Amino acid sequence: MLSHATTRDWLIPYADGMLAVDERRRIDGHITGCASCARELREVRELNLLLVTLPPAPPVAFAPFWLDLQAVLPQRRVLRIPRMQPFRRLGIAFAMAATAALVAAGSAFAAPSALPDNPLYPVKQLEEGMRLAFAPANERLTIQLQLASERLREAQAMAANHKPLLAENSLRAFRVIVDDAAVALKNPADPKAAKDALDKLHLRLDAVERENANRGDDDQEVKQLVADANDELDRIEQEDAVAAPPTLVVGEQATPRPTPQPTPRPTPRPNPSDDEHHH
Amino acid sequence: MAQSEEVPSTEGDAEERRLIDRSAAGDQEAFRQLVLRYHRLVINVAFRALGEVGLAEDVAQDVFIKVYKSLPSYRHDKPFKHWLHRVAANTVTDSLRRRRPLVSLDGLEQTLVSAGSDPQDVAARHDLQRAVRHAIASLPPHYRDTIALQAFGELSYDEIAKALDIPLGTVMSRLNGAKRLLRERLGDLIRPSEEANTA
Repeated sequence: MLSHATTRDWLIPYADGMLAVDERRRIDGHITGCASCARELREVRELNLLLVTLPPAPPVAFAPFWLDLQAVLPQRRVLRIPRMQPFRRLGIAFAMAATAALVAAGSAFAAPSALPDNPLYPVKQLEEGMRLAFAPANERLTIQLQLASERLREAQAMAANHKPLLAENSLRAFRVIVDDAAVALKNPADPKAAKDALDKLHLRLDAVERENANRGDDDQEVKQLVADANDELDRIEQEDAVAAPPTLVVGEQATPRPTPQPTPRPTPRPNPSDDEHHH
Repeated sequence: MAQSEEVPSTEGDAEERRLIDRSAAGDQEAFRQLVLRYHRLVINVAFRALGEVGLAEDVAQDVFIKVYKSLPSYRHDKPFKHWLHRVAANTVTDSLRRRRPLVSLDGLEQTLVSAGSDPQDVAARHDLQRAVRHAIASLPPHYRDTIALQAFGELSYDEIAKALDIPLGTVMSRLNGAKRLLRERLGDLIRPSEEANTA
C-alpha cells in the first residue's frame, strides 16, 4: 500500500494519465481507503477541467492579419530582386544610383570580395542587388551563378574563421539564389556552360564542407545546409535530364527509356579557390 | 490535444525547411507562407491565454515578429513547430503578466467550474477563466512556461519536453509543482461543488 505522502506526490501525473498501469493500480488502492487523497484528486481534476476548457479562438481571417503583420515586419535584405517594368527600373535606378554614389563616396574601395563579418558587407550587397536588378535578361543567369559562387566563397571563409552562423547565412542565401536561377538552369541557352557552372558549385560546396570539418567545429547545421544544397543542384540536373525530349517509341519492341541518373560530380580539387581572384 | 493537422509530412518538412531558409534570408513571401501555416495555432495559444480576439491577434503578431527576427539563428535540429510553441508561450505569458488582473479572486468563491449556460453563469465562468490565466501568469517562470504549453498550447507531456528541450521527468515535476501552486492560489475556486456546498 502506498503511503499518503507518495500518493499525493503522484496525484497530478495520475490525473493527467501519465502513470503506468501498475502505478495507477497502487494509487487507486490508496485512494479507495483515503478520503483526504480522494478529495485532493477531485481538486486536481477540477483544475484540469478549468485548464482544458479555456475556449479556442474564433476563426480569424488571414489576409488582414498578414497585412497588419507585414506592415510592422523589420526590413531585411531581400535577396531575390523581382523583374521590373523598364520605367520603374529607371526611377529606381536614379534613386539607387544616388544612394550608391553617396555610399561609394564613403567607401570607394568597398571591395566586392568583402566577407559577411566586414562592415562594408552591406555595400557589397547593395552593389550586387543593383547589378542583378538592372541586368539584361540574357545576362541574368550568369550573374546569378557568380553571386551563388560568391556566397559559397563567403561560407567557406566564415567556416574557416569559426563563424558557423555567418557561414549558415551565406549557405541559405546561396539556396535562395539557386532557387531563383533553377528555371533558367533547367533550360539554359548554353547547356555545357550551365553544367560546368553546376559542377563548380558542387566543388565549392565540397570545399565549404571540408573547411567546416577541418576547423574542428564540424557545425551540423552547416553540414546539413551543404547536403541540402548539393541535393538541390542534383535535382536541377536530374530534372533537366527528365525534361529532355522523349525518344519516339513505336510498338512493343521499343527499348525502355533508362532511368535518369544524376550527373557524376567531378573529383574535388585540393583548393577550389585557386582559379578565382579574391582578395 | 495537439493540433496534429499542423504536423507536416516528410515532404512537407522539406518544403517547410525551404520556407524557413528563404524567410531567414529575407524573403517575405516565404515568410507569408509560414505565417499562413501557423497563424491559427499561434492565435489560438494567445486567445486561450488572453481571452480577447483583438489582443490575441496583437500578441500573435509579436510572436511572428520575434520569429522573423530570430529565424537567421534558428537551427533545424529542433522541429520548427516546437520552437514556435516555445516563442508563443513565452510571449503570451509575458503579455499576461504585464496586464493587470481584471478580476478579484475574492468575489469568485461561489462560482462553480461546471456552471451552465445561464448568462450569469457564463459571465462567472469568464471571470473564473481570467482568474486561472492570471494565476498561471503569477507562477515562477519555469513553472509558468511549462504549464502555459499545456494549458494554452494544448501540448502533451512529450511535446512539452521537446519544445522546452528538457527530459520528460522534468516536465512531470514542473507540472506537478505548477499545479500545486495553482491549487493553492485558486483556493476555493477549484473545490469540487459538493465541497463548496457543504463548506
